[in-house]
Amino acid sequence: MSLEYVKFTPGFAKFMPKEYRDMVDHGPFGRKTTVAQTGQFKEILEEHPMCAGCAMTLFIRLAFIALPNPEDTVMVGTAGCGRLAISQAAIQFVYGNYGDTNAVASGLTRGLKLRFGDKPKDVVVMAGDGGLADIGFGNTLHSWFRKEKFTTVMLDNEIYGNTGGQESGMTNKGQVLKMAPLGKKFEKMDMLGMAKVAGCAYVASVIPNNPKRVESVIKKAVLVAREVGPTYIQAYTSCNIEYGIPTEQVMQDAKDVEKERYAFSEYITDDAKEYLATQHGYKQYLPKPAPASVS
Amino acid sequence: MYLVADIDQDICSGTSCKLCTQYCPEANTIQYDEGLGAEGSKYGSAYVSVDRCKGCAICVWVCDTMAKHHAIKLEMIDKIPEIATTLGMQYTATGVVAERIKSEVLSEG
Repeated sequence: MSLEYVKFTPGFAKFMPKEYRDMVDHGPFGRKTTVAQTGQFKEILEEHPMCAGCAMTLFIRLAFIALPNPEDTVMVGTAGCGRLAISQAAIQFVYGNYGDTNAVASGLTRGLKLRFGDKPKDVVVMAGDGGLADIGFGNTLHSWFRKEKFTTVMLDNEIYGNTGGQESGMTNKGQVLKMAPLGKKFEKMDMLGMAKVAGCAYVASVIPNNPKRVESVIKKAVLVAREVGPTYIQAYTSCNIEYGIPTEQVMQDAKDVEKERYAFSEYITDDAKEYLATQHGYKQYLPKPAPASVS
Repeated sequence: MYLVADIDQDICSGTSCKLCTQYCPEANTIQYDEGLGAEGSKYGSAYVSVDRCKGCAICVWVCDTMAKHHAIKLEMIDKIPEIATTLGMQYTATGVVAERIKSEVLSEG
């Protein structure tokens, strides 16, 4: 829960694995790291068992790099592909029951607020479309209605990838899958719209084929969630196994999908804009000077 | 034997794009070292830590299509003369310096 937490007891450093020693000496804890510096510092994410060429892994990796204070962040995850990588990282990870992530995160946020007061402690829920939009739908929406101050990140692969390809609420209409041989009969759920209605202060949809944009979106969402209100990010992270995308075409697919139906969108309330501009130096959100009156 | 990504350091050190280090889904797999590359080149080069590479070829697509440098190819691991692994890496001020070993040690077991 802090930078001191990861450091060694004197004399024990030589018994630790090399990855751990690198993490303490050259990791992002206590200093700012950006996506542009990748390949030159030890990342929070470690080796993980996710499939080769998985866009979800790429998104998780970029999100971990983008966290404003990784040493003060708690991740909440649940069953699904994403947790396989999220749990293989030098960051606190809480495994909520399937569907309970946002309820767990609500309690965690309140507890951390009681214990640490104004010291920023970020709670980030990172779960799949099944965990947030299907099975955890009630908990997700209610945490937003209650204005719980934490970030919810949906890794939207539009399928239950871990269990063999069942349709989820976020699957597109007409999509034929292994466990949906007649095609899905209903429309994709509009979680972005629901997040806005439920009162999220910051809502964004993003695709990992633009690392700088992923970084900026995650940073803003986590910062806004500290003070203003709940935030929601929906990331298209294709499942190259179930959708049969050759791994070298994963980024091409992301590009096509972005053009077709998953364009970058960002919704940010006036309160959140003011908070980012005054507290964190986002100059683009400063109130514009009143236009000079034409006489 | 299996495929891993191999970066042509002569081409890579002629540019400073670093796109492959950002797009790799594996953490700390495509590393960057300012000291690598052709003699007298302005920039350093990226290289692959072969023990973590899963051979997905996203970096090949990024280098060919986005950066248009064509510096990355997939190769059988025993056909690459010198490889770098995570264990031989040192983090320094100019990047991550890797000790390069001959890939023949792989077949020796």
